[in-house]
Amino acid sequence: MEYDINFWLKIAAVSSGGICMGLGAMGAAIGEGYTAAMANEAISRNPNNSGEIFKSMLVGQAIAESASIFALVVAMILLFTNFEATSFVMVWALLGAGLAMGFGAIGSGVGSGFPAGAACLGMSRQPAMGNKLTTNMLIGSAVCQTPSIFSLVIAFILLFTNFDLRPLWPNWAAVFGAGLAAGLSAIGSGIGGGIVAKENCEGISRSPESAGTATNIMLLGQAITQTPAILGLLVAFILIFRVYPETELISPAFALLGSGLCIGIGAIGPGIGEGIASSGGVKWISRNLKHTGDITRLMLVGMAVAESTAIYALVIALVLIFVV
Amino acid sequence: MESLRQTQKRYCSRAMIAAIFIGIALMLLGFIPIAKGLIIGAIFSTINFVIMGETLASRLNKSRKKSTFAALGSISVRFAIMAIPIVIAIRSDKFNIFAVFAGLFAVQAIIMSEHIYKHFFGAGKNSIKGGV
Repeated sequence: MEYDINFWLKIAAVSSGGICMGLGAMGAAIGEGYTAAMANEAISRNPNNSGEIFKSMLVGQAIAESASIFALVVAMILLFTNFEATSFVMVWALLGAGLAMGFGAIGSGVGSGFPAGAACLGMSRQPAMGNKLTTNMLIGSAVCQTPSIFSLVIAFILLFTNFDLRPLWPNWAAVFGAGLAAGLSAIGSGIGGGIVAKENCEGISRSPESAGTATNIMLLGQAITQTPAILGLLVAFILIFRVYPETELISPAFALLGSGLCIGIGAIGPGIGEGIASSGGVKWISRNLKHTGDITRLMLVGMAVAESTAIYALVIALVLIFVV
Repeated sequence: MESLRQTQKRYCSRAMIAAIFIGIALMLLGFIPIAKGLIIGAIFSTINFVIMGETLASRLNKSRKKSTFAALGSISVRFAIMAIPIVIAIRSDKFNIFAVFAGLFAVQAIIMSEHIYKHFFGAGKNSIKGGV
């Protein structure tokens, strides 16, 4: 057996494809399982509305698994495409693509399950709000898919960019780090967005008259919750598209890899934390519409503080790219 | 469960009709691989949605842990089925792979577009009637 570049490309493609699909299925399955569990509770509370709850669960689950369909697509491309390259950078790019999409699908899959479950439960409380709950569930779930779309974009860039002219050191770390940055940073924002949407569905079912205001606050909260994933996307773009001169030193390569890990891991907590902060705002606005201004202000301050740790991670990631 | 079947029929038929109409238009414009890719993707999207609905009952009336494992099993089977058109598109030039990807989201696109349309323009904008 000849251990040439084509051998390593094949090894990278098949292992990356397997990891991508394995991780990608995980999030959607957890989200769907959560939705089903909430549907159980909803039906036990209000068996007369089981038909509507079933339908809501089906529709919610269909949207929740979009992220894992992205992972399926990337996995299939990895498994069934004959990649050709003259640089070993492409081997690392394939690994990065699989990890980006695999990790990126986890948060969106889990997060999308939250509003779907809450909508099912809400229908058992307020069958009359079925239409509004389903619409808000779908909007909330769709926003949860955004981080996985960022990961898909990075995965496609890694798969279809020609890295042949790039020297192996330190570019292998840049492309691999880009995949990790985009994939890991999407986890927190996906879950956080779902937590916000869940509270919105619950709030509507408890207090239907708050639907309009609570939905606007949900969209605001979800938009801010996506910021850590956007920071991860930004670092991934810099890692992929910046030109790095060839070097014999090891440290520049590991600085680039560290940069991807730094923003990727560093964005998980802020994404979830901002989602929790925003869910508090949506929850209490639904119960106390008169104090929307105060609650929103406090929510935004809380989210800004939670965001600061993602900014620390961004600063260190940029230092690792541009200074070290 | 009859209303669930009706929901499935509604979304699946709309997804297929939309894919076929867009596919015919693309064929007339000469984009035959894109049209074929879109239609084959939409077919497998509807198959996935039908199987998802049919296996719903198996995920209910169980603990959260069992529901999660049942969902993981369901996803694995459905994804194996959805992999078929992607593999076909990768292996054959007759199908555009990116159109297959778009087709795989046909049912989701119909669900989203219907609810967004209802939300902004529908008579039931502020409706308090039950139902999806």
